[in-house]
Amino acid sequence: MSPNVNAEIIAVIATTNDDIISQFNSGAHTLLGYSPDEMVGSKKSDSFLLKEEIENFKRDLAARYQLKTIDFDPYKILAEHDANDAREWTILKKDGSTFIAHSTITPMKYENGKSNGYIRIIRDITDQKKVERDLLRKNEVLNHAEKITLMGHWQLDTITDNVKWSSNLYNIFEVHPDEVLTYDTYFSYVHPGDKETVSTSFEKSKQDKHFYDLLHHIKLDSGKIKIIQLLGEVITDEKGDVIEIIGTCQDVTQQRMAEIKFKGLLESAPDAMVIVNEKGKIQLINKQAEKLFGYSIGELLDQPVELLLPERYINAHANHRELYFNIPKTRKMGEGKELFGIDKHGREIPIQISLSPLKTEEGVLVSAAVRDITFQKRAEKRIIDAKGSLELLTDKLTIKNTQLADFAHITSHNLRAPVSNLNSLLEFYKDAETTLEKVQLFEKFESVIHHLTSTLNTLVEALKTKDETSKNIELLSFEEILSKTKEILSGQIIATNAKISSDFTAAPTIMYSKVYLESIFLNLVSNAIKYKAEDKTPEIFIKATVENGVQKLSFKDNGLGINLVRHGKKIFGLNKVFHRHPDAKGVGLFMTKVQVEAMGGKITVESEVNEGSIFTIKFNK
Amino acid sequence: MIKNFNFCIVDDDDIYQFTVIKTIKALNLAKKIIAFSDGEEALDFMIKNLHKDEELPDVILLDINMPIMDGFQFMEEYIKIKPKLGKKITIYMVSSSVDTVDIERAKKISEISDYIIKPIKKGELKSIVDKLIDEGNED
Repeated sequence: MSPNVNAEIIAVIATTNDDIISQFNSGAHTLLGYSPDEMVGSKKSDSFLLKEEIENFKRDLAARYQLKTIDFDPYKILAEHDANDAREWTILKKDGSTFIAHSTITPMKYENGKSNGYIRIIRDITDQKKVERDLLRKNEVLNHAEKITLMGHWQLDTITDNVKWSSNLYNIFEVHPDEVLTYDTYFSYVHPGDKETVSTSFEKSKQDKHFYDLLHHIKLDSGKIKIIQLLGEVITDEKGDVIEIIGTCQDVTQQRMAEIKFKGLLESAPDAMVIVNEKGKIQLINKQAEKLFGYSIGELLDQPVELLLPERYINAHANHRELYFNIPKTRKMGEGKELFGIDKHGREIPIQISLSPLKTEEGVLVSAAVRDITFQKRAEKRIIDAKGSLELLTDKLTIKNTQLADFAHITSHNLRAPVSNLNSLLEFYKDAETTLEKVQLFEKFESVIHHLTSTLNTLVEALKTKDETSKNIELLSFEEILSKTKEILSGQIIATNAKISSDFTAAPTIMYSKVYLESIFLNLVSNAIKYKAEDKTPEIFIKATVENGVQKLSFKDNGLGINLVRHGKKIFGLNKVFHRHPDAKGVGLFMTKVQVEAMGGKITVESEVNEGSIFTIKFNK
Repeated sequence: MIKNFNFCIVDDDDIYQFTVIKTIKALNLAKKIIAFSDGEEALDFMIKNLHKDEELPDVILLDINMPIMDGFQFMEEYIKIKPKLGKKITIYMVSSSVDTVDIERAKKISEISDYIIKPIKKGELKSIVDKLIDEGNED
């Protein structure tokens, strides 16, 4: 088609009354491909026209001039009626191809009015036709698209109030395409409830020369109610006066219904719901969320979700959020951790959050169900507190119980035995026949009473110790206490040649009861000497240490040792002895334990028979 | 009363030893009375006389609380040597303890015939001997 691109080329072809071509200009040569020599004087116009178009042309003329037959020469008929004809023709070129042309046929006349053939002027309108066809097609596509998207478009000439609707807009409004549209047609369908809003908005759009988008209900003749969304643009002339408003109108009933359903669901959720987009901006919240955080939806819309978090979480949260959007799935947030939100007034709220991805046309949204767990937290704290004080009480009771059990044990074993002896002796005494016998029995009485007295004294002392806990606490030097102990035991030390060494550098002093500490030193050091190994010189080493802030003191000896497998449980019991030693009474370790425990500490022992023992005192903090 | 039986008293309380021995003698219940002040001494004696039936006791009155080796520890060791003993020995646990823990523990040991709370009475000593005679007749 390249040679025909120039639309200015016009073919002029003249014919005689017999339709023989008499003139054929260069334009004709270019457009049709024939040279004038090939055409002039020999060919007729049917050489480059299609037969059926000639037939059509004739039928048209027959209709125009009410002729009963089509057996006539159309050019003569035109000449007779002094008329011309302009229409589209398909022109057959020399090479057999065709093009669409606009062609005018004008009869020629001599001055006497006699017919002298006609002139045909041909313009190639292939391109024009193509544009036209394209436009038509596009219109069709647009129409189709509008149907699919339930959309229409409209134009309002604000000067003439002339209104134009696209064909689908008629469908949306269920209006017959032939109906004459006026400015009020649209307004007549606006739902009564929305009329005021819509009119006000339109007036404001005209005034501000900016179209305010509208979303409202329409009520159709059939009674059907739809929700439509109007988007538009205000067109002004060069003076800035409004001349036209154009825009679209979409039937969004279904989307809105879905949205309404979704919102309904959101509102009915028992938890506060916060919906966030990929950028972490809040898109939607429900009433519960408004209540929980104290913000209205307007205050939160498009705000970063971190607004609802205490400052200390903000940095970490942004990272977590990005990670979540990479692999979105339903899960709890911060599993196992304590989470807090912050409300408008800066109050922190303990919360539990479940996250769930929501795929929408705007991308992935995340819905966060936020549950206020203040109440649970409070209940939990109360339970923990109660548990704590119960544990404390249990500890105290356990100690008291142990002390009571100790006391019961002492009463049962250490007091009943001498009393039952006294009873037995008393019976013998009654039955005794000789004075000698009575004297002997009386000696036994004395021995039992002596034993009973000493047991009672020990018990009274132990009870006193348990009662007098934190009295007379003072700063004591281990070194000083040890030298006093050595003084008291100087007799035994000299007799046994005992070596006593010490290292108190780790903790040279302690806040303690002087009487008890002296007693503890005296008991443990004298025991170490008393139960020395027969073939060894007693060696005693006393060391002060600190472990986890707790002071410790250990007494190590190289003496007889104690069979702990056999005696472990009762080593600190009253009147428990483990060696056949004349001075073994089982009081020293008993009193030591009572004193250490009264001060809140503990005493333990490690021992190996014939190797020695280590007594370790763990003082209270 | 037939003085057929050897009595053995294991107790660290010498006053108790004195009173029981005196009572047994007064009632003329025993052929022989031996006394030890702790479990270990008694055990050593038994091990030395495993097959000497005339030395071994017929009845042991065993205290619980004793130094070196107490009554329960003695029972543990006694159970070990029992199969080697040629003689049937009846053991009574005799203690001043009224502690149920001690009483229950003693009852669980099948080798202990009974638990007697101190002071032991004349009637109790007599019935111990009566039982021994009955059992002897059954055999």
